[in-house]
This record gives sequence, C-alpha cells and structure tokens, in this order.
Amino acid sequence: MRDKILYGIGAIALAIIVRNLLVMTTLPEEAQQGAIFKIIFFHVPVAMTAMMCAAAALIASVLFLITRNFKYDSLAVSVTEVGLAFLAANLVTGSIWGRVIWGVWWVWDARLTSALICWLLYAGYLMLRHAIEEPTQRATFAAVFSIFAFIDVPIVFFSIKWWRTQHPQPVFWGGGSFPPDWFAVFMWNWLAMVLLGILLTAVRLRQENAQREIDSLRRMAHAL
Amino acid sequence: MHLNAIPLLFLQSAEDVQMEIQRLRHNYDFLSYGLIAAWAILAIYVLMLVSRERKLKREIGSLKAMLEERQR
Repeated sequence: MRDKILYGIGAIALAIIVRNLLVMTTLPEEAQQGAIFKIIFFHVPVAMTAMMCAAAALIASVLFLITRNFKYDSLAVSVTEVGLAFLAANLVTGSIWGRVIWGVWWVWDARLTSALICWLLYAGYLMLRHAIEEPTQRATFAAVFSIFAFIDVPIVFFSIKWWRTQHPQPVFWGGGSFPPDWFAVFMWNWLAMVLLGILLTAVRLRQENAQREIDSLRRMAHAL
Repeated sequence: MHLNAIPLLFLQSAEDVQMEIQRLRHNYDFLSYGLIAAWAILAIYVLMLVSRERKLKREIGSLKAMLEERQR
C-alpha cells in the first residue's frame, strides 16, 4: 500500500514536470535575458525545496534531542541528503545562468557564497555521521550539528536583502511580478519538486530503517 | 525572441542580425545545459538510492540466512 502511494506521488511529479517542460517551450522569452531566464522555473523551486528540507531536518533534530526517538534521527538524515541533492541542482543551474548573464561561472557574492557554505555544512553533517560508530552518540552529535548548520539558511534567504549582491533581487518578494501563465508554471514546478522531495525522502527513510534492521541482526549474530 | 525585438532587427545590418541569432542560440544552449545538469544531479542521486537499496536488501538477506544457520 505504502509503495503504491509512493509510486503515485512519483507519477504525479513526473507528469507535472513533463507538462511544464512542454508549456515552457510555448512561453515567450523574457525581454532582457532571453531564453536563459526560463531556468528560473527550476532554479528557484529546487532552492525552495532544499530550504524546506533544511527546515524539516532542523525540526527532526530538535525532536530527536527532546525525545531521543531514533525515528527523528532517521528523518533528519533522510531530508538532509535529499535537500543536499536539490541544493546542488540549484547551485549548478545558478552557475550556468551566471555564465550567460554575468559572463562568469561564479562570483563570491553573499547569496552564492552563503548557499555554497550551506551545501558544505550539510555535506559535513553527512560526513560527521559516517565518522561516528556508536548510534546514540552519532544521532546526538548530528542533531546538534544540524541545528548549527540551519543558522546559515536564513542567511542564504535574506542575503540579497541584507547586502548588496550581484545576485538579482527576488521576482515576487522584490516588488516584481510574473505574468499569470508564467506564475502557474513556476508554482506547478515547485509542487513537482516538493512531491519529488517527499518521494526521495520516503525511499531514503526506508533505507535508514533497513540499516537499523541490519544493525540489530548483526547484534543478534554476535550474541549467538 | 521577444516580439518587441523584431522591428529593431529590420533596422540592423545583416551582421547584427547574425550576432543576435548567435546570442539567442547561445542562450538556448545554456538553458538546455542547465536543465540537463539539474536533472542529471537528481538522476545520479536516484541511481545512488537504487544501488544502496539493493546493497541493503542483499545484506539483510545474507544476515538472516546466517542467523538461521547458526540457530540450527
């Protein structure tokens, strides 16, 4: 039953993405930037999904520290890994957009740098987990590190407001707007990314549970 | 191409038109690189998940078989 729900979520996400790719080809080009502007339909939704994953990891980490229930630790590691993949997609699409509009692949401005630091922090979180053998210690240290890493998320979000950056101001939050058909594609893409994120997290969570089963089987094997 | 740009193209030389066409092509090329890169990253992650799933299933199977053998 659970597998069927997951397949359903995946099929819906895929259908939305295919539909949006087709709709994107019919939309006119942006007046200043041309076709490359359409990368915003992926660049921003993947970033927003990555930030949602970071927020979910924060909540799960706090809940683990309060309850000491390992299901929250599993959730934290699952959403962090999925968020890291989305953030990587965000950084790469942003870099390609920058190559066309700015003429360079990368600039060390506040938004790009803080986003890269965010990626490195969460990659460090996963490395930290690999480095600690004892499960309770691993989960506790990882939860504390995840809470610390989340400090960078609002910095990434507000960096374009707090500092003068080369990165453009947000379309919706910076006084700009989209035509309604563009806005629809953008929101549908965000929904597709969120669904994809939920699907990947559920699969990763199942793997984390399988890993715990392996650990308990190993303990039984040692005891026999 | 944006529709407002079409009348301007008629006022320019053939060289300018060629440059504009090249710029547009360049723009489309990079848009496709961006989309391919984004999906490639997510596809690689999915493949990593699939391979990890197989490894875990194999490990669970072998551990269960070993435990059954020991219990006998």
